[in-house]
Amino acid sequence: MSLDPRTKLLLLLLFAVVVMLTPGLPILGAETALVVLGIVALGFFRAWLRFLRAIIVLAAILFAFYFWTLSLDAAGIGVLRLLASVSAFFFFFQLTAPEDLGNALVKSGVPYPFAFVLITAMQFAPVLARQAHDVFDAQRARGIRLEPDVASVRNIPALLAPLLVQAFTLAEQMAEALEARGFGSPHRTFVREYRLRAMDFAAALAGVTASAMIILLMH
Amino acid sequence: MALIEIASVRYRYPTDEAWVLDGISLQVEAGEYVVLAGASGSGKSTLLRLLNGLIPHFYGGELVGGVRIGGIETREQPVHNWLPYVGLVFQNPEAQLFASSVERELTFGLESLGLPRDEIHARVNWASEVAHITPLLKRAPLMLSGGEQQRVAVAAVLALRPRVLALDEPFTNLDPEAAQDLRAILRTVRSEGTTVIVAEHRLAEMLADATRLVILAEGAVAIDDTPRSALTHDLAPLGVNVPTLVRFARAMGNHGVPLSVDEALAMGMRVPAKETRSGTLTPAMGMRRRVVEARALGHDLDGTAVLRDVNVDIGHGEVVALVGRNGSGKTTFLKHLNALRRPSRGSLVVLGYDTRHARVADLASRVGLVFQNPNDQLFKLTVREEVEIGARSVGRYDLGVMESLYEAFGLRLLLERSPFRLSEGQKKRVAFASALAARPELLVLDEPTVGQDAPSRDALVSWLRGLEQTVVVATHDLEFAQDVATRWIALADGMVVADGTPDAVMSDAGVMARAGLKPTPRFALTALTPNSPLATSGQASPVKTEEGGSPAHLPGIAGEANHQAREHGTPAGEWGRKG
Repeated sequence: MSLDPRTKLLLLLLFAVVVMLTPGLPILGAETALVVLGIVALGFFRAWLRFLRAIIVLAAILFAFYFWTLSLDAAGIGVLRLLASVSAFFFFFQLTAPEDLGNALVKSGVPYPFAFVLITAMQFAPVLARQAHDVFDAQRARGIRLEPDVASVRNIPALLAPLLVQAFTLAEQMAEALEARGFGSPHRTFVREYRLRAMDFAAALAGVTASAMIILLMH
Repeated sequence: MALIEIASVRYRYPTDEAWVLDGISLQVEAGEYVVLAGASGSGKSTLLRLLNGLIPHFYGGELVGGVRIGGIETREQPVHNWLPYVGLVFQNPEAQLFASSVERELTFGLESLGLPRDEIHARVNWASEVAHITPLLKRAPLMLSGGEQQRVAVAAVLALRPRVLALDEPFTNLDPEAAQDLRAILRTVRSEGTTVIVAEHRLAEMLADATRLVILAEGAVAIDDTPRSALTHDLAPLGVNVPTLVRFARAMGNHGVPLSVDEALAMGMRVPAKETRSGTLTPAMGMRRRVVEARALGHDLDGTAVLRDVNVDIGHGEVVALVGRNGSGKTTFLKHLNALRRPSRGSLVVLGYDTRHARVADLASRVGLVFQNPNDQLFKLTVREEVEIGARSVGRYDLGVMESLYEAFGLRLLLERSPFRLSEGQKKRVAFASALAARPELLVLDEPTVGQDAPSRDALVSWLRGLEQTVVVATHDLEFAQDVATRWIALADGMVVADGTPDAVMSDAGVMARAGLKPTPRFALTALTPNSPLATSGQASPVKTEEGGSPAHLPGIAGEANHQAREHGTPAGEWGRKG
């Protein structure tokens, strides 16, 4: 029996706060290790590695920025914070379908349209990523320079304009398709039940207490 | 009272002055199977959006006249109240699948209906069985193939058990096998009493199943009849893709309307002499110089082999069609031709450039690649700039060439317009012109006929036939492939399973099945006609080729021919053409 999506979301947010407030490399390392341990234990290691490939450039830029402006230590802390928090989000979404999160939020009084924006944004991202890839190929195929260098900066509109136009089209088509399957219906039922049980309250209490203690001890 | 009653409807979108629907009247009875046809912009998609109230509730705009479903005006009820009446499957599967699993996708609409849990489960099971997607229920919709996504989109609507199932160009992106599958699903749905309405350009796919063909022109009904009677009219001026067999009948002065090869044979039809182009390789097209040389080419994506051991030579001036299922590796091969993808194994030399090391920028001026979706490249403020940008980027701008391209693609009057404001057909023409602007020696096209109406498709065929460049085109439109290409390369699971003339490839039933292909009506008619050079005891396959021996280039033989060619220092293509 697993936790309610809302409990998992609370634990995720607590973890993110703790990570952001952790000042030293060793504890940050331990926190990161904790997430990675969970990822490995539940069999998501390979998927996690693929996910990391997507953020490696961002991590490198962050590292370089902190290194040049502050110090090596600061750079390490910055990258570890990024790694720990995005890995935690990755772990969360491996364990929670976006619809479950959205529906559970609706149960707690969050307006359905708002929750649905959250859900569809998650589905939208991979489609957009594939489209970005297609645009990149189409422009390079006709000789428009889009290498990762300074000379390509003036060609950024060649990448962004088709992507933005298509993103808007896609969003419009998606909204239409949602409407056509009853998005606005006031009679909605839910196949899955979302109920906070004793274990949810226990997990939430443990999470809040542990986070508070860690933060107090560190500062 | 008819199930659907559309009475003198005029409609225009909020942003447009022009009426998209202009005085349209149509009645559809329960249980009918209606095919909506007509040129792009004739109002097909807009008509479908009237049926479930998306117009006017979602789109706004100005709606005049009455649209009644089951006797109730659509404007009187919100869209969600029409769910049990009209289900609409949209053209782009990706934009209508928004759940994390197929099962949840099907559940979404049922939850909207406010159904109890048991009923939801029962309907999910029923719809997934009808649409053949039961094994996919736990998968993520966005990870499925195009054909699978289309079936999921149909099932998600079907689960709502609407009295009318309407589909907007559902066959557009499907390969022949997936199209056959969808056709069967629609037959089942109709046999269970659902009214089916399909807006489509690819009429040959399902006209034999339909009870009625409605052809729209400029927002009104131009022809409304049974498919057979409707096809006796001259439909070409209405931008309708007339099925090949019907076209042949007309050319022979036959007034019958054959909807299948069997019917054509029963009518004593033959392929008209001027249409027997396929299978006769013109010697002038022979190998003069090798433009493409693939040697044991392999490509991996995320640990999966997408291309495997591909050995292909393409000579200067050849027009080659890559055929096979969606996902068989056609597009990946095309992207290798200008080094957008690089070999994981083996090698590929294009116009003397080894693509393992060549830069995309070097090949961009010599290889023109036109992708399926022209929207992937449009970013300039005017059509003129858009056509010129590629040539300017690679330093091959030439005013004379530009002028001739504007003429050839009918862009002269559009030059100062924004490319974003063009119709999809016009955008495609801009993409072609843009690819040709740098005067490439090799032209590469990915699914050029998708979503094109008859006039655009015909223009494309005659334009390609007049080209001097080497052309490689990936397509699942086999009739188009037969019209333009003298050589087919069939791919299955990333491997070349056949390489030869269209007739030679289609003659091998084993290869066709492996590559998920169906012979074109023209081929089937020729092969089944007594005394035809392709006929063997009335069977379409296997047959001999014009070489008189075993079919050249067929499975295994392609590789062997290449091997022998290397041994003897002659290109495989030449080998194939001797004999």
